[in-house]
Amino acid sequence: MRLLLAEDDRMIGASIQKGLRQDGFTIDWVQDGRAAELALSDHVHDLLLLDLGLPRKEGIEVLTAMRKRGDARPVLILTARDAVADRVAGLDAGADDYLVKPFALDELAARIRALLRRQTGRADPVLAYGGIELRPATRETRVRGEPVALSAREFALLEALMARPGAVLSRTQLEEKLYGWQDEVESNAVEVHLHGLRRKLGSDVIRNVRGVGWMIARPREAPP
Amino acid sequence: MTTRSFSLRTVLIGWLVLGLLVAGIAAALATYHRAREEANVLFDYQLQQMAASLTGMPLAASMPPGTPPGADALVVQVWDRNGVQVYLSQPQSRLPQRAQLGFNTIATETGEWRVFSMLAGEQVVQVAQPMSVRRALATSMALRTILPLLAVVPLLALLVWITISGGLRPLDRLAAMLSRRTPRELEPLPESGLPTEVTPLVRALNGLLGRLEEARNAQRTFIADAAHELRTPLTAVDLQAQLAQRAANEQERAAAFAELAQGLERATHLVEQLLTLAREEPGVTERPMALVDVTALVQEVIAERASLAMARGVDLGFATQEAAQPVTVEGDRAGLYTLLANLVDNAVRYTPSGGRVDVAVATDAHGASLIVRDTGPGIPEEERPRVFDRFYRAPGTTAPGSGLGLAIVKRIAERHGASIELGPGLPPAPSDPPGRGPGLGVTVRFPPRSAPGQPRLTTSRSDPIEGRDRELFASH
Repeated sequence: MRLLLAEDDRMIGASIQKGLRQDGFTIDWVQDGRAAELALSDHVHDLLLLDLGLPRKEGIEVLTAMRKRGDARPVLILTARDAVADRVAGLDAGADDYLVKPFALDELAARIRALLRRQTGRADPVLAYGGIELRPATRETRVRGEPVALSAREFALLEALMARPGAVLSRTQLEEKLYGWQDEVESNAVEVHLHGLRRKLGSDVIRNVRGVGWMIARPREAPP
Repeated sequence: MTTRSFSLRTVLIGWLVLGLLVAGIAAALATYHRAREEANVLFDYQLQQMAASLTGMPLAASMPPGTPPGADALVVQVWDRNGVQVYLSQPQSRLPQRAQLGFNTIATETGEWRVFSMLAGEQVVQVAQPMSVRRALATSMALRTILPLLAVVPLLALLVWITISGGLRPLDRLAAMLSRRTPRELEPLPESGLPTEVTPLVRALNGLLGRLEEARNAQRTFIADAAHELRTPLTAVDLQAQLAQRAANEQERAAAFAELAQGLERATHLVEQLLTLAREEPGVTERPMALVDVTALVQEVIAERASLAMARGVDLGFATQEAAQPVTVEGDRAGLYTLLANLVDNAVRYTPSGGRVDVAVATDAHGASLIVRDTGPGIPEEERPRVFDRFYRAPGTTAPGSGLGLAIVKRIAERHGASIELGPGLPPAPSDPPGRGPGLGVTVRFPPRSAPGQPRLTTSRSDPIEGRDRELFASH
């Protein structure tokens, strides 16, 4: 999952980025409100982590404008303002969650997972489809109950595909889930990682729709 | 000004009663005198009429001697042509046996008498009346004037008492209202329904309450800002510590700890700046002013920051002519050190590598000034009024900082009566790196120590203040 972090403090921003990367998220970091709006307009991020005290454009303004545009992506506010009135104002402006600084990185990651889960209409923290189980919190994968070891990129690819089973994701869409702005996109990387996944999960789990992209498919029933 | 408290009621009633008494006595005296005059005219006329009516009457027959004195105690005497008394109405009276014609006042053993004598045919008729009668009449008239006044005095005192109590009741209400208030309740007192005499007091009190409220709000804002600003570096430290804990190997851990150390340094710096600002709050600490050698101070601050500047690739130095004489100002050395250190730190922090920071000291007839100029990005004109606000950091600022440095500088300058000007930085030089900014020049101008136009002193050296002035202008 690819996140956008809008945080003006360099130390806090660097730490959050580092911590969330360790948790398997792809994360881009902007340091002011205008840059956040520009990044949002690309529609490549699944969630926005928003600091309220941003230079150039206040966080709450970014949020209000985003909701006005009809952008429904989850927004988690990260702020040092802990007054009840601030929280209420933040949530009423369209935020989905509110975390007061300082916070634990584990809690931040858990809240992000919860928001992403709810975003796709699921209550179950386990992504399950066609005998494949994905636990984003622990980054565990099981195929028909058997644990399978996946690399970080493979897991990210599978998570993106399993979030919307049956939907076809293009190579660009998949690359966007895998790589942040600073990351060098390796050519054929998506194919390489898909190949790895097919090898570990079974060749018919991920289907290629020629000229369009890839989708996750229910394993074919054994012929009667 | 006396500090003794007094009762408005007592003072008012006292003066009122005194005034009434004086007025009453004056009125009584006037009445007495007028009554005496009128009585004189009236009684004299009566005596005359009486004497006239007695002429030609057979006195001996009609008025036998020995008649007891009447209410008006008139004494009638009649003499014949030869001076033989033919009639005396009251033989016991001791009036002179002879009298001049017309009106006379004569003193006798029984007091003063008013006497009227007239020649009537062959007889001299004399009618006499004691003056005490007239005095008694006048006195009774005077008393009749003063008595009602005396009766009114207690009534007036009561009225004054009631009026004053009524007039002071709003004050009692105000006192009760004020005593019930908590320190947080600083709303203005109602100004309506008060006697106009009390309104200025209430208005002044409201003014004070307003200023208190402002001061309290400013403090509250500062605390809220400070809490918010403290949370940011602490959040960074907290996150850095979490990353250090998560580190999988020695190398990652070392990197995480290095970042943690930086975070702690920043948090410490902010706390120190906050404490400095709080200490510079007016009225917190009264530090004595002394003569401070600014030249030495500048050299000290530069020496302490030389290695930091060098590490950042900034050429920091004291821009001064050869053999400059020491410049001194009257001030608090610790405060001036903080002021200069903040200015130099800011300049070094914001000036990119390859740039220069120059500190200079100057004196002229208008006083001494401290100038710190750099080749950094400068501050746009429209930002300048705001950079002295607490926690204000210009948009796009990337250098780390607490946002308090210039607020501290301003506070210290104000305490010294000095002004701060923001101007252009150092002029371009061939050694400048390509694309250098306009730079920033901060001038702290200290007030002159003597009237402009007469900086050089001619008074004796033994005068301590004049002596200091001489030092201040020594390098002029």
